[in-house]
Amino acid sequence: MIEIREVVKHFGDVRAVDGLSLTVPSGEFFCVLGPNAAGKTTTIKMVVGLIRPNSGSVRVAGFDVQTQPLEARARLSYVPDFPFLYDKLTPWEFLRFTGQLFRMDDRAIRDSSTELIERFHLGEWLNKPIEGLSHGTRQRVAIASALLHRPEVFVIDEPMVGLDPHHSRVVKDLLRERSRAGMTIFLSTHQIPVAEEMADRVGIIHRGKLLAVGTPEEIRRRAGADLALEEAFLAITEDEPESAPPPGSES
Amino acid sequence: MSPLRLLLDVAVRSAWRRLLALREQSWLLVALITTFLAGYVVLAFTLFYGGLRFLSRFPGLGGLLVERLLYLLFAFLFALLLLSNLVIGYTNLFRNRETAFLLTLPVPTRTVLQWKLIESTILASWAFVFLIAPLLGAYGLVHRVDWHFYPVVLVMIALFVVLPGIAGCWMAVAVARLLDRKGFQILLVSLLLALVGVVFFRFRPEPITDELLETRVLAVIDRLLDNTRFAQFPLLPSYWLSASVQNWSEGAVRTALFFALVLLSYVLFFGTLAARHLGGAFYEASSTVHSRGSIFSRWAWFQRWEHRRRGARRRSVSLRPRDWLDALLAWPGVVPSDVRALVAKDLRVFWRDTTQWGQTLMLFGLLSVYIINLRHFTRQLDSPFWISLVSYLNLGACALNLATLTTRFVFPQFSLEGKRVWVVGLAPIGLVRVVRLKFWLAGVTTLVVTLGLILLSCSMLGLDLAHQVFFGLTITVMTFTLNGIAVGLGALYPNFRETNPGKIVSGFGGTFCLVLSFLYIVGSVVLLALGSPWGWRPEAMDRFTPARAATAWGAFVLVSILAGWLPLRLGLRKVAVTEL
Repeated sequence: MIEIREVVKHFGDVRAVDGLSLTVPSGEFFCVLGPNAAGKTTTIKMVVGLIRPNSGSVRVAGFDVQTQPLEARARLSYVPDFPFLYDKLTPWEFLRFTGQLFRMDDRAIRDSSTELIERFHLGEWLNKPIEGLSHGTRQRVAIASALLHRPEVFVIDEPMVGLDPHHSRVVKDLLRERSRAGMTIFLSTHQIPVAEEMADRVGIIHRGKLLAVGTPEEIRRRAGADLALEEAFLAITEDEPESAPPPGSES
Repeated sequence: MSPLRLLLDVAVRSAWRRLLALREQSWLLVALITTFLAGYVVLAFTLFYGGLRFLSRFPGLGGLLVERLLYLLFAFLFALLLLSNLVIGYTNLFRNRETAFLLTLPVPTRTVLQWKLIESTILASWAFVFLIAPLLGAYGLVHRVDWHFYPVVLVMIALFVVLPGIAGCWMAVAVARLLDRKGFQILLVSLLLALVGVVFFRFRPEPITDELLETRVLAVIDRLLDNTRFAQFPLLPSYWLSASVQNWSEGAVRTALFFALVLLSYVLFFGTLAARHLGGAFYEASSTVHSRGSIFSRWAWFQRWEHRRRGARRRSVSLRPRDWLDALLAWPGVVPSDVRALVAKDLRVFWRDTTQWGQTLMLFGLLSVYIINLRHFTRQLDSPFWISLVSYLNLGACALNLATLTTRFVFPQFSLEGKRVWVVGLAPIGLVRVVRLKFWLAGVTTLVVTLGLILLSCSMLGLDLAHQVFFGLTITVMTFTLNGIAVGLGALYPNFRETNPGKIVSGFGGTFCLVLSFLYIVGSVVLLALGSPWGWRPEAMDRFTPARAATAWGAFVLVSILAGWLPLRLGLRKVAVTEL
């Protein structure tokens, strides 16, 4: 579960996130949409503890990210749009490394890896240095390593970048399965069809504020009954009221 | 396994694989670089040994001079290590993707800091150990020490390098919390100016008369050494190291151990403090770095001004067609717009990479201070032989500084451009022209600095016009050759995967570039000095010998073409067929 309470983040005199409140319950697949520089990545960085909010709080799986960072991070996984991997390691070594950092024992690492390696078709690349892998394969290694310890909360930024349709489907199916099994997913994307297809609920952020939140159907209805989600998104972000409170920002 | 051990394990494994990757490189090049490194050790050892023996035989004062030299050397190295640790520490803590990755994992921030502290200290100090190893070997041999001197000294040095590592890390965290890029640039330039000022006035040697030199040698040396007494300030870590090394070499083991324990106690105290308590400050600083607008934004007047500016910009949708740099480049009116765009882009990128050019600025700043101070030695440098010798040494020093600059900044240019191929590589300008432009831009820009320094050196030494023209032309050729080496090898050994120029340079091609540049400089300076148009015999040094000048210059130009033009030509040929 993710609980964001009245979070404000300034970059100098710019309010990147402006009093954002949101709760994503356990097992929910939540997609956050927004134009460029809307505050999505800043929100994600505060959720995973990379930056400190100026005010407000973020809790992950019941733990405050700022005051109980280790407890929160142990239950969390984050895959940025350009994930970091150690170039000189092989995918198998990298998987073991991340598993050990999450204090998994060897058997658990092996079992969990076996499943993910099969799902992501990584067997062929398992013992080759990461520096020689294609962008899509690196992305699969990053996602596999993030899912290895079965996190309670999974935060991912643009997961389909670099993936072919086949592996996009693999990622979508796996995330859906894990979500059904109780994993909370917080996904940021510009690909509205992905949000439409995958999300239980969608949040639209613009200029640091949560303008709308609800199921894709609710968002569509809110903007006009016949609109597709893409058009609803455009309508909401264009007609943004300067000071209106974010509707439905609380789950 | 603890997270720190896991991280160490990954680092060792990666380093080992990088070493194994050498097998994929040409054996000729590997052999060349190995020979160069071995050659440095042998040459440095020979020079240090000869120098220390000469000094130690100085009647009555040998021991004192060697002692002062040792203290001075370690004091300066301590200062350089501090600066190096600050720059590397800052980059490693706040501009590093691994750090951001680790901060999202269940790894305590203090462990992340501990790992980065270890990594930065090693990165900043390995060259220091390599540089002083021949000196300590020579020192031991001159003092006829027992075998145990060498391992003990190694341990002491290992302890010593930790202190600037910790201090650099503290400073990096403080800088990150308090300063943005602009603030850091202002601080750096101010520090440099202050340093130049202090060195300029503080270390100005006093005039020494002939009478004084002949009658009161002790007093003269005392006055000369007076300005270097700061190196023996007892609270300096370099003092503890020097005292420890010196006492151990003299058999005063208890005193040596005392200083070694002082060093150890400080390392343990500050090391524990940093390892246990700096993690929180590091996290705060990291968050600040990634959330900063401007350091001035805490003041209301700045916020109001920024707000107005942004409002005006939004209303007018004005994209400010030109700033002062564009205007300057457009001024002659003959440079095509694509060339102007590339030049402006390269200059801006260079200026904004503060942490890196800061070190180069310091080195050139110190070189300027030294050259400016040459005017105070004109009384001692009254012999044409010494003046000539100092001129050639200045030429070498200036070129060596330039070589570090070209290797660090010019060499990785093509690799970085390859990464941005969708902008520059696909533009109608063509990659070959881009690389050629980079060569000319780097050559002309660096020539302003090197030619300025050499002419300053000539002026301070009171050399005539012929000398000024000779050295001016020489440094011009060397500047373009060194840039040719860097641009050419940068194109021949590109690394398109890496975005960090520092890492591109640390690869095989970068090392080869540095080695080739150094070999070229040493070879050229020796060649030019041996065939000096003014000769080296005192009775004939005021006569210019055209034949000798032509021979030396002919050979020098040939060497320059081979070393600079050839790699550039090969590089351009490769660029023309490179598949990005």
